[in-house]
Amino acid sequence: MPLQIHKPLLLTIALLFSALTCFGQSTSGTVSVSATVSKFVEINSGGSVTLTGNSGGGVTTDGVANSPLAVAINLGELGPSNTNPFVTAQVPLKLRSNANYVLSMIATVTSSGTTSNRIGAADVGFGLGTITRSGTGVNLTGTDTNATSGDPTLAANGSVNVTTGRYEFTAVRSNLSAFSAATTALSGAFILNAVPRSNTNGLTVPAFFAIKPQFFENGTTTISVTFTVTAP
Amino acid sequence: MRLRHLIFSLFAILTLLMLAESGYAQALDISSGGQSTITGAVNGSVTGSASVLNDLVVTVNFGEVSPLNTNSVVKVIIPIALRSNQPYQVSVAMSGIGNANGQGLQASDIGFGLQNPRLLGGAGQTCNQSTHIVRSPFNNDPATAATVGSNGRVAYPSSLASLSGSTIILSGPELSKNNSSKRQQSDGWIFDAILTITPQYFSAGVSSATLVFSIAPGPNVPC
Repeated sequence: MPLQIHKPLLLTIALLFSALTCFGQSTSGTVSVSATVSKFVEINSGGSVTLTGNSGGGVTTDGVANSPLAVAINLGELGPSNTNPFVTAQVPLKLRSNANYVLSMIATVTSSGTTSNRIGAADVGFGLGTITRSGTGVNLTGTDTNATSGDPTLAANGSVNVTTGRYEFTAVRSNLSAFSAATTALSGAFILNAVPRSNTNGLTVPAFFAIKPQFFENGTTTISVTFTVTAP
Repeated sequence: MRLRHLIFSLFAILTLLMLAESGYAQALDISSGGQSTITGAVNGSVTGSASVLNDLVVTVNFGEVSPLNTNSVVKVIIPIALRSNQPYQVSVAMSGIGNANGQGLQASDIGFGLQNPRLLGGAGQTCNQSTHIVRSPFNNDPATAATVGSNGRVAYPSSLASLSGSTIILSGPELSKNNSSKRQQSDGWIFDAILTITPQYFSAGVSSATLVFSIAPGPNVPC
């Protein structure tokens, strides 16, 4: 019987001291730290558009370096009254990433003409030019793969079809017909080392669009191109 | 009878152990110094008790620190309460953050400093003959003292990379006027531990580290 009385008493004392110890002191404390880095890619304008060989037309909305890419260009006259060999628009792109990237492109070409002589996607030459990685914080040793054939106006990238007489951009991915669906144009290794976003350096590459003035069916043509960069 | 004696003995030992622990602990103590805060975070958080009566157990999630976070810096302030009736020193030991990829988040990418010493209430001890010394290089706010190195990466005067083993970051004279065996609301000093990360083009991944703050008898300086 005395044991039964003492048990609760002792238990109460023990719990009391346990509680006091909880309000007691400690000589150490712990701080656990975690952080997440997700894959990041972006495409911006690399600067002003260069339009050459045009007759009339002009750059309607120019590119502004490091700003979202939203360029509008009027290529002007593309009939035989334009005697230049090509009308060419050079659009600088700037890519930045902390992971391997893929730049893809999709293009649509719509023309008011109704015959096969209207301007079509195959008549719009396209290519990416020299890829430049430069500046502090840029992964200079990273390599890139240009899936296009470069400047479409180069002699190696097109010629007059001896049968039809129409000028054709014949090299691999050298005209917009190759981009009727999202298609890779460029890919490569991560672009930036561990530097803050305030660092404006990155990878720059010019996108060339070219049309050879010809006896196209008269009318107006609209070309829409969307670039997308991803980190697979 | 034997059983009764055995139970008595066990409880007596237990009680003495608790008393001994309480008696030892009253000399030096580290606890939460209040509510920790986080600013500039995307999907980040900080959890821990706001009560100065509770142990220092804080979990910091900096959240996204890639360029997806467009804030200039993610800053965490952790108030730490210290109590002692003798000269003390505070040390920190770090584990974790072992990223083999140099472009990944490294210990040097997490700024770490100690700032803003202040009394924890009226029973905090103000000594005239000695001051509390934040050991070099930790006496800075890494969020405002950050610089960009020649390689373009953000650097701090002190970071988690400044910790080598158990590193003393603070020392000084006694902190408390009383000799209570229990934590009280107003019987010591509070310091702010500051942790910062500048979002950068780090390589993707998740990183974690654990910091253990410890208080121990320090250099014998007068109060």
